[in-house]
Amino acid sequence: MNLYKYASPATFYPLAGKMIPWFAIPAAILFATGLFVGFFIAPPDFQQGEAYRIIFIHVPAAWMGMLLYVLMAIYAGIGWAFNARLSSMMASSLAVTGAMFTAIALITGAFWGKPTWGTWWVWDARMTSTLILMFLYIGFISLQAAIDDPRRADRAGAVLALVGVINIPIIYFSVQWWNTLHQGATIRILQKPTIRGSMLAALLIMLAACWLYSVAVVLIRLRCIILEREQNASRFAEVGV
Amino acid sequence: MNWPDLSMGGYGFYIWGSYLVSLIAIVWEVVSLKQRKKALTQQQKQSSNSVPASVLRGSVNETTS
Repeated sequence: MNLYKYASPATFYPLAGKMIPWFAIPAAILFATGLFVGFFIAPPDFQQGEAYRIIFIHVPAAWMGMLLYVLMAIYAGIGWAFNARLSSMMASSLAVTGAMFTAIALITGAFWGKPTWGTWWVWDARMTSTLILMFLYIGFISLQAAIDDPRRADRAGAVLALVGVINIPIIYFSVQWWNTLHQGATIRILQKPTIRGSMLAALLIMLAACWLYSVAVVLIRLRCIILEREQNASRFAEVGV
Repeated sequence: MNWPDLSMGGYGFYIWGSYLVSLIAIVWEVVSLKQRKKALTQQQKQSSNSVPASVLRGSVNETTS
């Protein structure tokens, strides 16, 4: 089987259509399971009481905001370097979902900061760098929207996306590098997590749900982008421009 | 299993507020994608059976010449 044929938008379009339900349905099931475990099984936190339950959406959303940005930059970079149209379209599709998750992380963070820190917002390192992430997403989307020729829009977007990647390690390490109100990481790669099993389970199930949801909506949007661009191309072809 | 108290020990507004905002964001994304898809398939139908290429060609010539 020739896998390279799926690099063409026209052949990827039906494949993406078949893949969507395999991500959308498990996403819905896991969202329900994660919320059930988070609200009915996980006990209240001994320091923050019930308020900590916001983390089941806040933390996965913040992670998705960062991960989708890295993915977007990789796809945009591949699309730019190898002139791969589908890869650039993938980057455009990822941007909107990434921006949405970053917005959720910022808003739920404010809802969490108000009762626990006494303020909706402070200009501390992690929050400011996450706000910059939001602006990078908005910049990428509006830059692409401002350029009529899709391939030029892809290239311009790729430059912005790749330069902006520097912000990701800044967000990640901000709680270690600077004194900040934001608490440190609860789950570390090499050490034992510092929360109870049921809290951790709810968090990881919600993270999996957010991943599956992202794949599903990004594929749906990718199909729309393929259709839009092919339609434009065929209209130009018809009139012989 | 323990039933959570809706007031969430006084944190109800913040907890339900953040989950409501997240729900709105996700519903908005899904609904707007559905509408985008619908508009595209309608456009495709129209362009494939009603607007012949000659009409488009004529309009382009008018505007460019």
